[in-house]
Amino acid sequence: MTLDSYTSIFETSKSNISKAIIPLQLAANFPHTVKEWVSMNTTSRTKLEQKNVSLEKERLILLGQLQRSAELAAENLRLRQLLNATELLMQSVLVTEVIGVSPNPVNHTVTVDRGTNDGVYIGQPVLDAEGLMGQVVEVYENYSKVLLITDINHALPVQVLRNGLRSIVEGTSDFNLMSLRFVSPTVDIEEGDKLVSSGLGGRFPMGYPVGTVSSISQNSGEKFMKINVTPSAKLDRSRHLLLVFTLKDGDVARDMNEQK
Amino acid sequence: MNRNSNFQSALIMLLGALILQFMPMSGDWVFLKPNFLLLLTIAWMLYFPDQYGIEFAVIMGIFADFVFVSTLGFHILIFAICGLILIFFHRIVVYLQLIHRVTLVFLMILLVEFMGLAIDSSFDKQLSIQDIVLLAIISAICWIPLDKFVGHCYSRQK
Repeated sequence: MTLDSYTSIFETSKSNISKAIIPLQLAANFPHTVKEWVSMNTTSRTKLEQKNVSLEKERLILLGQLQRSAELAAENLRLRQLLNATELLMQSVLVTEVIGVSPNPVNHTVTVDRGTNDGVYIGQPVLDAEGLMGQVVEVYENYSKVLLITDINHALPVQVLRNGLRSIVEGTSDFNLMSLRFVSPTVDIEEGDKLVSSGLGGRFPMGYPVGTVSSISQNSGEKFMKINVTPSAKLDRSRHLLLVFTLKDGDVARDMNEQK
Repeated sequence: MNRNSNFQSALIMLLGALILQFMPMSGDWVFLKPNFLLLLTIAWMLYFPDQYGIEFAVIMGIFADFVFVSTLGFHILIFAICGLILIFFHRIVVYLQLIHRVTLVFLMILLVEFMGLAIDSSFDKQLSIQDIVLLAIISAICWIPLDKFVGHCYSRQK
């Protein structure tokens, strides 16, 4: 136990065994796959039509928002160029599906069906539709392991959307709870404040939703406040995730030229 | 049923236990999922202590350490202690009624959970006493079909 805790001599064997365990995770996921297949094949035509109409409406709304966002991005780029600021980072994404979860309730990791063959790399940020989910910690040929932001060993630099206050949010081994560390009582932070990734540390891109401040308390005699945060992402429910590839302006231009 | 077929049954049950262990669950239920590897170890050691001794408990402990991604040695220690208790008591327990064995499993799970908490104090989120008792009850219920099956193997071998 001491050797494993303080050295990394078992890391290779642990990684190899994790790889061997993936087929078992797929087997454990089989009932859910069957359930999804059955529900997909037994849905009535009326329900499908209703769903189609609602998705079409949603698509129109999102397209409208996208036009506005494209305009803002272009404006942002022009302003940054005027200010001679550093290169703007842009992201492309790859959709992936969760195929397994860690059986240990304290370790918050999931296995996804994309690996080195799809260009996945260690440290790559992962999102769901609502916010930041975590980062890739192990990569195999066709699978990767993602450490979720609620894992007890995970810390993430964030900032308060309202005033830009920077802090670090840590996991607590609870899918619905994270905590902000070392925030002094004099700091301007309120319940309901939205937290986004600050981009510090270079691991996570800036501006992705992380969570909302759910409660603030301070015990007498303690130097810092106890701040609980509810994650934005549905960490224990999302099945389809997005792997974020960060590209610099030059890469984006190159990509676009290649596509043309 | 000979030793070979017993070994095959143990292997199939191990595969089943691993699949059950990996079965995704959401919310607080994650904390109430029984340790199927431990239940399997208890079952085989209780009925076949000559074939599945303390070495079996250690091997299953290594398995559990890899499956649960815990510090190597954590589950080995817990499984080995459980194995020692079972070897000590099996001659009495195996001839008792099912309800007694269920009670033994219930107590064993309580012991394991408390040992786990005592050994690994780095967990921020610890199970509450109610959760531990609930987990032990769920494990004891899950034990019943396992006991029936391994008991059947035992009576066939006799």
